[in-house]
Amino acid sequence: MISKKLEHILMRVQKPGRYTGGELNSVIKDKSAVELRYAFCFPDTYEIGSSHLGMKILYSLVNARDDAWCERVFAPWTDMEQLMRENGVELYALESGDPIKDFDVIGFTLQYELSYTNVLNMLDLAGIPLRSADRKGLTPLIIAGGPCVCNAEPMAEFLDITLPGEGEEVTNELLDLLKEHKKMGSDKETFLRAAAKIKGVYVPSLYDVSYNDDGTVKEVTARDGAPEKVEKRIVSNLDTMFAPETFVVPNTEAVFDRTTVEVFRGCIRGCRFCQAGFLYRPLREKSPQEVERQCRAICDSSGYDEISLCSLSISDYKGLEELVTNMLPWAIDEKINVSLPSLRADNFPKDLVEKLNSVRRSGLTFAPEAGTQRLRDVINKNITEDEVLTASRRAFSGGWTAVKLYFMLGLPTETDDDIKGISQLAQKVVDEYYKNPEKPKGKSVSVSVSASPFVPKPFTPFQWEPQSSRDEIRRKQEVLYESRSTRKVTISSTPPESSFLEGVFARGDRKLSKVIELAWKNGCKMDGWNEHFKFDTWMEAFEQCSIDPEFYATRRRDYDEVLPWDHMDYGIPKAFFVRESKRAQEGKTTANCREKCAGCGSDRLNGGVCNEKCKTVV
Amino acid sequence: MKNVRLWYKKEGLAKYGSHLDLVRCFSRAVRRAQIPIWYTEGFNPKPYMTFPLPLSLGQQGVHEPLDIRIIDDISYDEIVNRMNSALPIGLEIVSAGESVMDSKEISFAEYSVKLDFQSADKAQYFAKQASAIIAGGELMAEKKSKKGIKTVNLCEMVQDFCAEADNEICEIKMIIAAGNTLNLNADLLVETLEKATECEDYVRSIVREKLLTKDMTDFC
Repeated sequence: MISKKLEHILMRVQKPGRYTGGELNSVIKDKSAVELRYAFCFPDTYEIGSSHLGMKILYSLVNARDDAWCERVFAPWTDMEQLMRENGVELYALESGDPIKDFDVIGFTLQYELSYTNVLNMLDLAGIPLRSADRKGLTPLIIAGGPCVCNAEPMAEFLDITLPGEGEEVTNELLDLLKEHKKMGSDKETFLRAAAKIKGVYVPSLYDVSYNDDGTVKEVTARDGAPEKVEKRIVSNLDTMFAPETFVVPNTEAVFDRTTVEVFRGCIRGCRFCQAGFLYRPLREKSPQEVERQCRAICDSSGYDEISLCSLSISDYKGLEELVTNMLPWAIDEKINVSLPSLRADNFPKDLVEKLNSVRRSGLTFAPEAGTQRLRDVINKNITEDEVLTASRRAFSGGWTAVKLYFMLGLPTETDDDIKGISQLAQKVVDEYYKNPEKPKGKSVSVSVSASPFVPKPFTPFQWEPQSSRDEIRRKQEVLYESRSTRKVTISSTPPESSFLEGVFARGDRKLSKVIELAWKNGCKMDGWNEHFKFDTWMEAFEQCSIDPEFYATRRRDYDEVLPWDHMDYGIPKAFFVRESKRAQEGKTTANCREKCAGCGSDRLNGGVCNEKCKTVV
Repeated sequence: MKNVRLWYKKEGLAKYGSHLDLVRCFSRAVRRAQIPIWYTEGFNPKPYMTFPLPLSLGQQGVHEPLDIRIIDDISYDEIVNRMNSALPIGLEIVSAGESVMDSKEISFAEYSVKLDFQSADKAQYFAKQASAIIAGGELMAEKKSKKGIKTVNLCEMVQDFCAEADNEICEIKMIIAAGNTLNLNADLLVETLEKATECEDYVRSIVREKLLTKDMTDFC
């Protein structure tokens, strides 16, 4: 509960409602009756973090146990942090208000690289030593999950455990083990060695890394019985998988404040730039009945009037039509808006989308990703210009007047013609609007082009590619701005500095731990927020550590180089990525999983689309 | 279709929410409670609800009005019960009934203020000085309004003011201007008094007890 000291602080900060807890559906337990206290930390603000679905899932999952209490923790904004430090208030969990340094497990979700300094800042604010080696006791145990742990090496010195893959099953197994070891009075070493034997648990301290003279990794060796390769965990049946029936409803505004239900995991597409498309393989679907039931349950318990169906590339969902048809009657009746993110231009379900928009009309976004067919073939974004234009035409005849188009700059093999192609494609979309005889009178069209710098990521066919330098990205942005032919097209891009840093950490190794620590000491935090991003301070930290960030970002790697994440196994062998990388260079596309199995190796994970294939192949 | 006036409490943790947060919170509660509320008919249908006099962030209220419009018949008790099972900590519906008066009739509000100065001397000093200032009839402050910032005499908006020290805490009972035409934010008055006396509280609690009409009867 709120102490006098906290009350004093809260009345002096922006949006104090972020720091009080007490939201509807937040879980309060009797702390004397639980054996494990779990602080689920999102290393960014309340507004960002409370929108995150993974947190809602694991919060409900841990709280479904009688022996554990999971609470939420977010990074305080800088005004709150300053007052907390000045008044000696340590980072506390929202439900109980208790300092998290006394908790058993402190779990971070690593969603993006630019939140790494926030992890350090939160540990420090909690009064917890940053480095795993400096934390001698069994608890608090610092663990992490999320997409970034496919290569958590830059954070390896700070984390005791990471959980590559999906957390629904492994979280419970880990908590069971911890409970047992707490009872036995084990020391941290003993527990970590035991934990490393659970499939899907990575204990960085049990792996020794040696380097070659050129700075590349020579060898990663497991010790004390830890597995040579750490296999990711997946849940094979999404219908029987744990899913939350209620959401904590934020009292103050969150970025995405609505009912979100997963429709499927994984993706059949194999776009070569897309890390998510490979990390979450194989594609596994939830039945439309189960999705609908969960949507209703969450809407009823939260009062939300908006549902977002969540997946990669949702128009690939086989049950989409059935789901939407079943949901619409009650959604319309209860004035609930249903939105579909990640629509593909090649199978844009116009009729469905029109039906959906009978409650509230939202914008329409397509992601051609590259401006020319040649480059779209290189990245395996199997969408043609015709398909983009047809989808736009349908949208315009359906009454839309604004379309957003997403692209990337700095893709492998990209030339200036490809960049100019972005403007040309946008122009053709504008032309489509004026060709439409039913276009609303006196209304203009707006096409927003967003072109973000491409960041090569681990576990993609582009993991060996050099990232475009900052100067090169700036030059490419100029080419793009100059090639724009109409004011009906607006172009936005982001400065290359943050993408550069993202790239460094995405493919970084353990040597970067000291850079992150130093940059944080020198004042870097909230790096994802423009107003707090201190690029110069980062560059100074690299220099002081005698580490060249270009080595990680803009260097081309050889296929036979040992990559810092080679000991992580996400189901897809390196040979597949090499094959895909070579096909990319040749401009050859690869069919999606439902057309033809590309042999990525995920079938051994035993789930979803791979089994579906076997049936049809016969 | 029928208008209903709900009376609610906003206390404890709920005081840290802004008025916008409160609106969001009540519209969700109305949905969860399945109150047959009338929806606005714009592009973006929203449950219809109006707050005759919003409370500022940080302030609590024990008898605050909220007007809704319902389309099906439902008893007042039923509304109160259903709403209370759907509201988060700190928000509670006390009663429901007809909206007797128009919100324009709100002219004053009665507040209980507690200022914790963490020093009995300071609390006593402040109580004495603040009372003297109000009695003196002049306390100038910059007041933000839709038309911009202007300097006004806050004392002209104070109807009744009584400050007493109880150990480290200074308790104030006051009736000040409230409503659409002339409104004084209790925080602004307290802050201006603190500035004038060079006292800063450690923790401040402001509770709006009730709303009053121009002849000092309860707004209902």
